[in-house]
Amino acid sequence: MTQPDGLAPSGAASTAAADAEAPQPERAPLRVVVVDDHAMFRTGVKAEIGRSLAVVGEAEDVDSAVRVVLATHPDVVLLDVHLPGGGGVEVLRRVHEREPDQRFLALSVSDAAEDVIGVIRGGARGYVTKSISGPELVDAVRRVAEGDAVFSPRLAGFVLDAFSGAIDVAAVDEDLDRLSVREREVMRLIARGYAYKEVAKELFISIKTVETHVSSVLRKLQLSNRHQLTRWATDRRLV
Amino acid sequence: MPAAGASAPPVPAPPGATGRETQPAVRRAVRVSDGAVLGGVCTGLAQHFGWPVLVVRVVFVGLALAQLFGVLAYGALWLLMPAASSVAAPGLESATRSGLRPDGRPRRRSVDWGAVLALAALGTGLLWLVQTSGLGVSQRLFWPVAFACVGAALVWRQADTSAQHRWRAEAGGRVWLAPFVARGGWPALVRVIVGLGLVGAAFGLVVAQYSQLAELPQVLAMTLLALAGLAVVLAPWLHRSRTALNQARADKVRADERADMAAHLHDSVLQTLALIQRQAEDPRAVSQLARRQERELRGWLYADDVPEASLRAALTAAAAEVEDERGVPVEVVMVGDCETSDAVQALVRAAREAMVNAAKHSGADKIDVYAEVTDTEVEVFVRDRGAGFDVDAVAEDRYGVRGSILNRMARHGGRASIRSQPGDGTEVRLEVTR
Repeated sequence: MTQPDGLAPSGAASTAAADAEAPQPERAPLRVVVVDDHAMFRTGVKAEIGRSLAVVGEAEDVDSAVRVVLATHPDVVLLDVHLPGGGGVEVLRRVHEREPDQRFLALSVSDAAEDVIGVIRGGARGYVTKSISGPELVDAVRRVAEGDAVFSPRLAGFVLDAFSGAIDVAAVDEDLDRLSVREREVMRLIARGYAYKEVAKELFISIKTVETHVSSVLRKLQLSNRHQLTRWATDRRLV
Repeated sequence: MPAAGASAPPVPAPPGATGRETQPAVRRAVRVSDGAVLGGVCTGLAQHFGWPVLVVRVVFVGLALAQLFGVLAYGALWLLMPAASSVAAPGLESATRSGLRPDGRPRRRSVDWGAVLALAALGTGLLWLVQTSGLGVSQRLFWPVAFACVGAALVWRQADTSAQHRWRAEAGGRVWLAPFVARGGWPALVRVIVGLGLVGAAFGLVVAQYSQLAELPQVLAMTLLALAGLAVVLAPWLHRSRTALNQARADKVRADERADMAAHLHDSVLQTLALIQRQAEDPRAVSQLARRQERELRGWLYADDVPEASLRAALTAAAAEVEDERGVPVEVVMVGDCETSDAVQALVRAAREAMVNAAKHSGADKIDVYAEVTDTEVEVFVRDRGAGFDVDAVAEDRYGVRGSILNRMARHGGRASIRSQPGDGTEVRLEVTR
């Protein structure tokens, strides 16, 4: 996220559509469900992204979220981390039982590592803070809808933290349990505030490759049982 | 699908609205410690019935002269009437606790010993008059009752100091237990012992008068034995009470601390909201205020405890300063942490200078700071997406970049490099070995 490069096209498209009342150039707007226990925040998000995305449902707690998401089948669910009834993780669990392919983007004011990593390990494809600007949010939703991962600098920092520490060369190297050199580089650049496009330019690779690396890190984060990750999570009361 | 959830936001019940108001309030007479001479019984009764305090006091003294009835009545009321307690709004209570406003409870007046002496002399004289006139209690009863009354008053008075509000909450209403299980310091203990001694003396007098003096040691021994047995039976219970009391006290302190912090934060949110209303015309100031408040709240609600002498603390503090001074958001991401040393402090100062430069000159709307601590070195990146500049064209006398960043890092054995292109933002990279 936080890519000016990604912003430019989306911003331009949305203003063009709004000005000329013309249909979106490519296809119908993405369908989004907003799950947050603060009504004021839901209203604000709707106002900000309503032009470029179709908000097809809202929910304020775990039960209503599961109901609304299963009923509307949105492209992306914007999911608050803290929710009455068990939190965002509970929504992820219950929806993924029925619809394993439903895509979620976590949205939170909490920067606590345990919340962020917890919701990513729970199955969200990205994490952004609530102070994100409207166009950036729209862009993040697009990315998640296309199956990519959305890593904020902060999330990248947490990932580096979680996978840090000397890797024992003698140990059996499970691919899942470590980041490749390239993935580390990508994570570091994202943590430094680089947009995907800038990362690609810096490393002389294509944006698609950057996205592949990020998605692979996401997979490792979700699937890895790496001892250190587990311990890191335990230390922070994640598991 | 219409947004059903949004149209009806849940309205939270006002705190304290349920439960407390369902029962009609019974107006009870309470003891008032403000202006009390002994236990506040007279003051309380006077307030309850709307009579002048003096009248109530005179009535009690008069009753006391009649077979000590007033004394007994006073004692009974002292036990039965609850002490007045006041519950203020959370913010006010917290402000009182932290000394931000005058204590609602007035300090105990300093004792006017002359008046006390005069009153005591007058009382003794009156008593003597009544006793010698033959209207009083029989001599056999007078001294034991007098001793017992004074002793009990001493103990009860001790159990009824200003700490009693606390005791009452802590001891679960068993206030009479408080002098035994609560902390009160030496004076309290002495008062309790003297009081008990007086009660014991009264008991001894009664025994001495009604039975032969020769049997006194035996009776005393029996009594002591009985008391010892009682003590053995009660000891575990007293001990448990004491433990529970200490636990309750610790919990209360913790809860108070938390409440104080919460109150402070809410207060600062109020201030921020007031400022935002005043500066509503200035979007930049408003977002700056909102950002500062957000940082404060977020830190309180979600941040881990960060040791003060750590790189994390120093760097986030520097970022917060720049944010407040320049009004540009600074996003800090950290991997790992370390203690501050001279080199690390120099690193933080250089990073701060880099942030200031970015905020001042780049025109970017956000600054990203990334710090990574490895086993051997500390790296900090300060990046903006602003105007950028030609690094080679920086004049030698531009103190900010040369002196504060490059030279400072060189002096402390670190390295600094600046990458920038006009139109493409700037990134300052700083590193030192640990």
